[in-house]
Amino acid sequence: MPGTAFCIAAALVEYFCGLAPALAVMLLGLGIADYLFVPPYAAITVFNSADLVLLISYPLVTLLVIVLIERLRRSQFRAELIASVAQSRYEMLLRHDNERLLARRAVDETHRLLRHLSHHHRTFIFIQALERDALQQVDDVRTPGLLPRLPNEIAPGPRFADVDTEDIQRLSKALWPGSHRVRMKGADGASRLTECMCERFTTHAGEFLVLRIGD
Amino acid sequence: MSQPTSLFLAGDDHAVLMLHGLSSSPLELRFLARYLNAEGFTTCAPVLPGYSAGSEEAAMEAWLDAAVREYDALAARFAHVSICGLSIGAALALALAHRRPAARSLVLLSLTLSYDGWAIPWYRFLLSWAYFTPLRKRWRYREEAPFGLRNEALRAKIARAMQRSDFSEVGPSTISLPALHEASRLAASVRTQVRDIKTDCLIVHAIDDETSSPRNARFVAANIGAAFLRTIWLDDSYHMITSDNEREIVARETALFLRESEVAHGGDDSGKQPVVSKALARRLRQLAALGKERV
Repeated sequence: MPGTAFCIAAALVEYFCGLAPALAVMLLGLGIADYLFVPPYAAITVFNSADLVLLISYPLVTLLVIVLIERLRRSQFRAELIASVAQSRYEMLLRHDNERLLARRAVDETHRLLRHLSHHHRTFIFIQALERDALQQVDDVRTPGLLPRLPNEIAPGPRFADVDTEDIQRLSKALWPGSHRVRMKGADGASRLTECMCERFTTHAGEFLVLRIGD
Repeated sequence: MSQPTSLFLAGDDHAVLMLHGLSSSPLELRFLARYLNAEGFTTCAPVLPGYSAGSEEAAMEAWLDAAVREYDALAARFAHVSICGLSIGAALALALAHRRPAARSLVLLSLTLSYDGWAIPWYRFLLSWAYFTPLRKRWRYREEAPFGLRNEALRAKIARAMQRSDFSEVGPSTISLPALHEASRLAASVRTQVRDIKTDCLIVHAIDDETSSPRNARFVAANIGAAFLRTIWLDDSYHMITSDNEREIVARETALFLRESEVAHGGDDSGKQPVVSKALARRLRQLAALGKERV
């Protein structure tokens, strides 16, 4: 069959370049095949049964192959697009999941802070907010025991007045989670060293350090 | 005939300049502008003379100059200015980002560099020839159903609005030939500039876009020089993604991207969200590995 090579060429062009170039190659191939490979060779004036066979069989086979490849290519393109939709949805989902986890962690921490404050409400000395505007936000949330507009983002607790002012100064500048020793006035007015505990809470209103008298 | 009006909503020091589609009005960005404003951003959707509906058509250089003026006005007042564009407005946003590389980030919604979506007939190329004939002044391209909308209830509403007014929430009812001609000139110049754009870029495109096929978005995603690039594909919308079924997703992801870009360049980690989700951390590592392979 004289058109085989052109049929293969058209199929390859269809796969790599698309429908229009493939159709062009097919028509071009039909002309060339008829001119060069169908006897009588190199003459276009003669039309006989050999030409007729080529004219029917070659376009039939080539069109069939090209159209099928085109359909497959289109559904492949569609599938790739749908896969990219799925991927972007998955990434959106993961980002939302991250936000949800962060929110849940903040809520858990807030609950822990509230439990902590109510449990140790007689012994805590002060709460320090680590972010500048955290106390402002706390004002909206109404965490008990915090007053806005205090210097150095510090809200005093019930035992605040008993602690030596020098220690307050020192701790307000450098406070970290763990145990601290603080000079504290007793019931008789004499000051003595007391072990204090500091804990850190990461809530949705910011981070807080809570200092309280140790057990 | 009513004239379109600019939209300005004051917020924090991150301003978003929003460019609407060709011969349209800031109305089509109203939902997104309000959402971004509620998230804290300052949003500005200006009317550009020569580009918006109801004004005499001007050359695309004039559109770009008008957009640059709006950008400079915002840049003088706000610390961060991002650019967001819809359809041809996205092409304009790309050109603007090329002219002003200091822009914080770039959001391309339904980017249109060529009109090759499924609703565009194959003989549309005749339209660009018609520009050089006497038809130029008389004939106007009329917007037809589905008006870029997958949501049928909304589509019916828009069809009624189109008959009453020259423009609606989803764009103009007709576009003149000179405007289309200038838009294709703009797209051609943008195609050559894409490689030089280094601004953070978010691309949102619907795979069923009936006006501009996903090839437009793929072209930019493959060629843009931005290091921080995010592409989001939608499958329940057509061209007007700011009004269609997934407008909430578009608005949410836009706000998220703008904040992330601001934090990434702000230098302080205070606003940055830690990655808690293990699945997200894994995915980010995968993406980072992919990025290394590409480079």
